Amino acid sequence: MSHPDSPHSSEKAMDIVNNVKSSSHRIRNSIATIFGVVVLAGCATNAPQDTWQPKGENAQIINNLQWIVFPMAGVVGVLVFAFAAYTFWKFTDRGQPIPSQSHGKPIVEIILTIIPALILTVVGVFTFRGIFELAETKDTEMIINVTGQQWWWEYDYPAQANQGITQPIISSGQLVIPVGTKVLLRETSRDVIHSYWIPALNGKKDAVPGRINLLRLQADEPGIFAGQCTEFCGLSHANMRMEAIALSKEDFAKWVAGQQKAYTSPADGTLAKEGEGVFLNQCIRCHQVNGLKKADGTPAIAAPDENVYSGAAPNLSFFMSRNTFAGAKFDLLKKSCRSDVWDASPETIGAKYLAGVSESCLNATDLRAWLRNAPAMKPMYADPTKLVKSGGKYRGMPNLGLTETDIDKLVAYLLTLK
Amino acid sequence: MSTNELTLTPGNALDVAKGKLVVAPTQSLGAVRRPVNTTGWREWLFTVDHKKLGIMYGCVAFVFFIVGGVEALFIRLQLALPDGRILSADKYNQMFTMHATTMIFLFAMPMAAAFANYFLPLQIGARDVAFPRLNALSFWLFLTGGLILNASWFLGGAADGGWFMYAPNSGPVFSPTNGVDFWILGLQIAGIASLIGSINLIVTVLNMRAPGMTLMKMPVFTWMILVVQFLLVFSLPVITVALVLLMFQRSYGATFFDVSQGADPLLWQHLFWIFGHPEVYVLILPAFGIISEVLPTFSRKPLFGYPFVVFSGASIGLVGFGVWAHHMFASGLGPVSVAVFSMATMAIAIPTGVKIFNWILTMWGGKIWYSAAMKFAIGLVILFTIGGLSGVTHAVAPSDTQQTDTYYIVAHFHYVLFGGMVFGLFSGFYYWWPKVFGKMLNEKLGSWNFWFMVIGMNLAFGPMHILGLQGQPRRMYVWTEARAGEGFFNLGFWNMVSSIGSFILAVGVLFFIINVIKTTRNPERAPLDPWDARTLEWITTSPPKVHNFDRIPVVHHLDEFFHRKYVEDEATHTMKQIATGEELVRGEEEAADADIHLPGPSYWPLLLSIGMGILGMGVIYGTPIMVVGALVVLFSSYGWVLEPSVPDAIDFDTPSTDGHTKEITPVG
Repeated sequence: MSHPDSPHSSEKAMDIVNNVKSSSHRIRNSIATIFGVVVLAGCATNAPQDTWQPKGENAQIINNLQWIVFPMAGVVGVLVFAFAAYTFWKFTDRGQPIPSQSHGKPIVEIILTIIPALILTVVGVFTFRGIFELAETKDTEMIINVTGQQWWWEYDYPAQANQGITQPIISSGQLVIPVGTKVLLRETSRDVIHSYWIPALNGKKDAVPGRINLLRLQADEPGIFAGQCTEFCGLSHANMRMEAIALSKEDFAKWVAGQQKAYTSPADGTLAKEGEGVFLNQCIRCHQVNGLKKADGTPAIAAPDENVYSGAAPNLSFFMSRNTFAGAKFDLLKKSCRSDVWDASPETIGAKYLAGVSESCLNATDLRAWLRNAPAMKPMYADPTKLVKSGGKYRGMPNLGLTETDIDKLVAYLLTLK
Repeated sequence: MSTNELTLTPGNALDVAKGKLVVAPTQSLGAVRRPVNTTGWREWLFTVDHKKLGIMYGCVAFVFFIVGGVEALFIRLQLALPDGRILSADKYNQMFTMHATTMIFLFAMPMAAAFANYFLPLQIGARDVAFPRLNALSFWLFLTGGLILNASWFLGGAADGGWFMYAPNSGPVFSPTNGVDFWILGLQIAGIASLIGSINLIVTVLNMRAPGMTLMKMPVFTWMILVVQFLLVFSLPVITVALVLLMFQRSYGATFFDVSQGADPLLWQHLFWIFGHPEVYVLILPAFGIISEVLPTFSRKPLFGYPFVVFSGASIGLVGFGVWAHHMFASGLGPVSVAVFSMATMAIAIPTGVKIFNWILTMWGGKIWYSAAMKFAIGLVILFTIGGLSGVTHAVAPSDTQQTDTYYIVAHFHYVLFGGMVFGLFSGFYYWWPKVFGKMLNEKLGSWNFWFMVIGMNLAFGPMHILGLQGQPRRMYVWTEARAGEGFFNLGFWNMVSSIGSFILAVGVLFFIINVIKTTRNPERAPLDPWDARTLEWITTSPPKVHNFDRIPVVHHLDEFFHRKYVEDEATHTMKQIATGEELVRGEEEAADADIHLPGPSYWPLLLSIGMGILGMGVIYGTPIMVVGALVVLFSSYGWVLEPSVPDAIDFDTPSTDGHTKEITPVG
């Protein structure tokens, strides 16, 4: 029980149990003792997807219910097992005669039906309330459109003046939200069903093609919260991760400003400028960089719908303001730099996250390997000979056959995108 | 027709010794001569005997149990360490899809069918099921379906969409190999098998019970099987519809689940789970039935609260049709639907709880004999309770949105299905082995089998509770160190424990196989009533004669066999033995019925099944093959219709007239 949060959360949970079981100290104590094990489940250090460490209102509503139903299930279990164990011991064949063939007592049956019914009624009342609390969307303060596709998430922040977002922001991999704000995710999918899940902030909600499902998130304090697609979505389902980054309201405003900056082309003669050329030659087919212009000065517009089955590829406008790439499977930060951000305190995490990825912190190994041969890094349907059924369109990023020089240039260019 | 040529049964020395004569058919009617072989492999291929079919169901299902188990071991090998490299993502997805499909459709359901086939007629005092040839058809179709499903491994890869096969991920673009097509066709054919079987058994129970056996004097196993057959009759058509829609989408360009054409992918989920949830009870209720026989036998007491157990089983079946959307709490149903299904799911816990209380109260005041069968039955009671309680935690819908699609769910349903169902089936193996094969399974090896399975199963599935609550999702071909955490609950440690547990579990199953081999080699015969049992299947020889009962028993009590052996001593209120099981069996033989008429063997069920298999392959490999399959199906249906279900008297040598039992049947 070394975790700093655990005494607090177990106390809180016991309060809820108390409300249900109206002020009986005895019950409180016995539950607390018996369910040390369950309490322990809330104490694991650094399990980023732990479902027992709520960091926001919605997850807290769920956690309160967990703290009702788990102890109850536990008490019932212990009582049943104790009764069973006593029966096994007491009525072992020790040479006693074969007993009278009685067929049971209806009154016992009725009591044993009513007791579980009563327990479940209590659980049911709280569940009922929790379901409707979690479905509340009226007081939403911010909206983000979340779209799943094989095997990454796209975030589309519509313009909303109250959050300082004057033009839409499109990002991927990492969801950035302000703390203390009721954020409504409007989820859908471009291909198969996915499911959005940041355990610290709320339960899951499926992203279903053709439907828009609503999921409310709210983070109490700044931090990085890990998540994972939880509806089986094909080959690389395991590699479809995401994070939610909660920033203080000031830091969030800075992030918004950073995502709305105008595009600046790298200076002529630099390696990055050559990289822009490679990008315009190759990557622009699918990946948009807002404001990027072709050599003739016309806007460069990506057309992922011509090449990718889902019709979308990550927008790379401020690529290096994110910490991860390829469906959050790979870190853009080196290990040491990554833990610097992930382990930062709520006070400092904003500044560290907003710093983005510097050349010295870049996880060049994985990024270069990805550019060299993406399908070798993450299972995808990117073999051009096997795309008959999808009409020649890829599901994932193909091997582009870039040379090492091209990769040097591209990495230099990508480092300027922040 | 030779009038003197009488065939004696070499395998039934008792009958011969008692001077009984058995006649074998020499002629047949119909489009083609009826098979008259009474020995060797042909006897098994063309049999319509419910006992032989039961044994075949059991053997095939057990082979699939091994196949599914090996698939599970591959999965656990892959997940033992982070970034596992045993399987590719593609192979892993096929592996977990086929593990679930195999275990549910090719092991659990047919194994329950094995028990139902063998024991249901015996328990109700019948000589066979209502439609023996349909029974054979069920078995052969199941085998065809199973072979088609597994053939996919060698023909381009197995299905990779999960056993729930959610649309649109199951569509041709997202699953471009033929795996899903094999899956669809295999399941449709196996589904026909179950549907036919369920109608057959319902008619059998309702029409063929021995005189005096009212529904409320029927053994609980038979009751649970009856409930299951009703669940199948109402749920299988739904999955069949879903499979047909998917088949037309994949093979003939239909767009039922194509979102770009306006389809709603949730249609599949509703159809699948309206079948899929009753299916859960289809899997568990037979095991409940088995232990409702085993617990009373080894506690020497009747089942506590028989009508409550029966009606709670029936109400579980009924309410089971109203909880399907609890598999979809995260799919965006809206709070009203979620609340309703959440409450319904809690409600189903009540009759389930009633059963557990009744089983424990059955033992209360008893005289408990801890045989291997009893150990497995008790294992079910305890392990299923754990699974049931974790089930209640996700009846709370908001809590479920944290748990669904994590390993917590995997833990839950393995406690229910392995701890519950499989332990129930193993209890049945040990309990009924002497009845089926006339030999006792070794109790000591049974004990090893039990303890390895209990420890293995708790080590394999117990840690999955932790893994799930720590946020490890299901169906991921790798897990990563970066999301594993540290300390006591880190995913690395518990994944390893779970993998080790799975191998201990496998050793437990190995003990069972060793036990079977040893027992088969051991020449020692089992006593006729080794457990001092209670129900009608024990009032005949082990293994039962082909006609089951020499005399159809007349039933006066629930647990008729027990009450023929014991009467209550009015003074002490304990039971006093008045006859042994052997004496009762001998008594039945002395008073054997004359002229027992049994159905004859047939080619058609097997041939029809082969035709269905070819027809199914035609969906994948082209219309010409389909035409061949359709012709075989038509031809065998024609032959079937023209073949009398019971061999005509002219098929047989004239029965003897000296008053001995005449078995007008091919006994071999």
